[in-house]
Amino acid sequence: MGLFSSLLGKTKPVQSNLDALFALPSASITLQSAAGMSCSGHAGVCFKPPSGQGFEEMQTEVVSLLSMDGTGGLRQQEDSYGYQWLVVEDVDIEQLVTRIHLVNSSLSDAGWGPQLLCSVFGLAELPTPDQAAVAETAGTPPELTAGPGRLLTSTAFLVYLFKRGTFYPFVPQGHERRDTEEELKLKSLVAGDVVVETDLDRWFPLWDLPVG
Amino acid sequence: MSTARNIPNDHGLTIRMFTTGLMLVLLYGAVIGLLIYFGISLAVVLVFAAVILFVQYWFSDKIALFGMGGHIVTPEQAPQLHGVIDRLCALADMKKPRVALADTDVPNAFATGRSPNSAVVCATSGLLRRLDESELEAVLAHELSHVAHRDVAVMTIASFLGMMAGMVTRIMLWTGLMGGFGGGNRGNNQGGQDNAALVELGVLVVSVVVYAISFLLTMALSRYRELAADRSGALLTGRPSALASALVKVTGEMSRIPTRDLRSAESFNAFYFTPAIAKNGVSLSTLFSTHPSLDKRLAQLSKIEAELGRPS
Repeated sequence: MGLFSSLLGKTKPVQSNLDALFALPSASITLQSAAGMSCSGHAGVCFKPPSGQGFEEMQTEVVSLLSMDGTGGLRQQEDSYGYQWLVVEDVDIEQLVTRIHLVNSSLSDAGWGPQLLCSVFGLAELPTPDQAAVAETAGTPPELTAGPGRLLTSTAFLVYLFKRGTFYPFVPQGHERRDTEEELKLKSLVAGDVVVETDLDRWFPLWDLPVG
Repeated sequence: MSTARNIPNDHGLTIRMFTTGLMLVLLYGAVIGLLIYFGISLAVVLVFAAVILFVQYWFSDKIALFGMGGHIVTPEQAPQLHGVIDRLCALADMKKPRVALADTDVPNAFATGRSPNSAVVCATSGLLRRLDESELEAVLAHELSHVAHRDVAVMTIASFLGMMAGMVTRIMLWTGLMGGFGGGNRGNNQGGQDNAALVELGVLVVSVVVYAISFLLTMALSRYRELAADRSGALLTGRPSALASALVKVTGEMSRIPTRDLRSAESFNAFYFTPAIAKNGVSLSTLFSTHPSLDKRLAQLSKIEAELGRPS
């Protein structure tokens, strides 16, 4: 805020740019060809639940909307910082993005935009044909087959900052450590498809992510 | 039907802040007019005051940290603290300030720095020890509000008049001591000498009065900015009661801290989340206080809590 608006105590609330979310499926395709990675099928929306009956009702409504809509999984979880997560699972990436968009737009249209922190999309490495063959002969569960036809375990994440309308990659590595090199690599790969957050200070870490 | 969020503006607070600021500005104008009328060299005084104020403003973060014994901490050194601030900044869409820790058992937090780009938020180890996560988050949201509202700049500008009036007072006293007020044993123009002495005395009186008025106004403005930061912080987290609980805990603890620690914190009250006042020390009347009373702050917070619960 400029000094004048600080003196008057006024600020314009951020205009959300939720359409940026729909660039994610094309980023997933780019990642498949360039890095052998893809969206894992796990995603979540993070928000700060305020006190008061109004928000609780809103949250119940959104959850029931989501359950009617998709076929994938849905669960609510609170993290160690007191923020709430709505975690969605869907093997169809377009469907996944639509559901995440639904959560974000429902909350922000009802005026709860200020409570929204971010949305997170899981990324995972696509198993090579060799790995798939080994998995089949060993009789492990069908998780490791190729393509987005199955849910994969996320090793990296694309975080969408609601207030900025931008994405940034996040690669956790062990306990409270992050693989910055991998993150910068991912950034250069997806920069052509999604709007990447230019201010590196805003790439804040999300430890203990409840998104799978 | 789902209810949307509907927090009405607090027009009363805005009007009071605006009026206080306006009165300070009018006082500025009156003083400058008076000084010109009395023929005082305005330039010297203004330059002096401006330089001192500028230095104080520019290095406000280093000065405050040095005074409190705070040191900057990295995310590796204080992961929990950084994590909470990270998320609050993303929620508020603001640049993350530097984070500092002060090693003292007095529970408190402050924000300093000349602009949101070079701001520092500091918490004491005493605070981290006493508050739970949601209370700590509420206090940090209050401090981040100070950064976003540029309160350091605002209060520096507001205090400029008081500082200038103080300087004029001092300069007048010096010249009075050296030149002598109404000393009739010098110069042949007795009438002229008396006139000059009277003018000097007039300026001295005026500057003292101006200093007093500007002090009261600046304190009032400080109290309103504190209430505004309380309000912003509570709305950011959406949990006014967490802030209220933190306030009660911290002010309750203040009276139990051994006197020596508190006395070292008293001089820096203006920066703090809540004034570190020793119970058996001087009791400051509300007019002289940089912070509103606990009751007033709690009343505002419970009003916000009620507003949050109300359907639109």
